[in-house]
Amino acid sequence: MASIDISQLIQSMLGAATGAAKGHAEDLKNYVEAQAKLIAEGAAAITRDRLANIITDDDVRFAWEEIKRSENADRAALAVTLKAAAQDAINAALNVAASAVNSAVGVAIL
Amino acid sequence: MKLRLSPRALVAIAALSCAIFFSGCAVSFVAPYDETTDHLLTDLSQKTETAVVRADAGQLSAEDREKFYSDSLGTVRMLKARSTLFAKNEDETSALGTLEENYDALSKRGAPPRSSLTIGLRRSLLALQQIQIAKKRSSIFSAGLKKTSSSP
Repeated sequence: MASIDISQLIQSMLGAATGAAKGHAEDLKNYVEAQAKLIAEGAAAITRDRLANIITDDDVRFAWEEIKRSENADRAALAVTLKAAAQDAINAALNVAASAVNSAVGVAIL
Repeated sequence: MKLRLSPRALVAIAALSCAIFFSGCAVSFVAPYDETTDHLLTDLSQKTETAVVRADAGQLSAEDREKFYSDSLGTVRMLKARSTLFAKNEDETSALGTLEENYDALSKRGAPPRSSLTIGLRRSLLALQQIQIAKKRSSIFSAGLKKTSSSP
C-alpha cells in the first residue's frame, strides 16, 4: 500500500481542473466575438435602414430597447458557461483524487 | 510535502470517498444537456434567419410575417415550459423568457423582422445557443470522466 504525495496530488488536481475549464473558455471567447459581430452588423443595418427611410426614429429606439432587453439572455449564457466550467473543473479534480486513492489503496474501489 | 497515512487510515478514506461517490459526490451546477431543446432552438434560429433574409429583401408578406411570429412564439413558450422541468435550469428559463419578450414585442409592433430590428432577438437566440454548447460540452466531459473512473 503506497502513500499519497499531497503536493503532487494538488498539482495534478489543479492541472485536471484547468484542462477541464479550458474548452469552456474557448467557447466563451467565440461567443463574445459572435455577439460583438452581431451588434456591429446590426448597428450598420440600423444606420442603413434609417438613412434609406425604411425605418423611423421610433423604430431605431425600439431596436435599441430590444438590444438592451437581450442583455438578460446574455447574462444567463455567461452564468451557465461559468457554472458548467466550474462544474467540470471540480469534477475533474475529484476524479484525480479518487484515482490517487485507488492507486494508494491498490484496489480500484472508486 | 509528503504525508504518510497508515493502511487503516487509507482504507477509511477510501471507504468514505466511496460512500460519497456512490451517493453522487460529483458536483452539478447546471441542468443536463437536452438534445430536444438544442434541436428545437437550432430549428427556430434557422427559421428566424430565413425570415430576416426575406424581410430584408422585401419578400416577406404580412401574412407570412404573422405566421412567423405566432409559430416562433409557440415554439418559445413550449421550450420555456420544457425548461422548467429540469432542476438547476433557471438561467435557461430566464433567457427563454427574454426571447419570448423579443418575439412578442416585434409581433405587437407589427414590424417586419428586418436585420435592423431583430438584433436583440438574435442576440437572445445566440445566448441560448451558447447555453446549449456549454451544457453539451459539460455532458460530454462528465461522460468521459465516468468512463475513466469505471474502466479497470
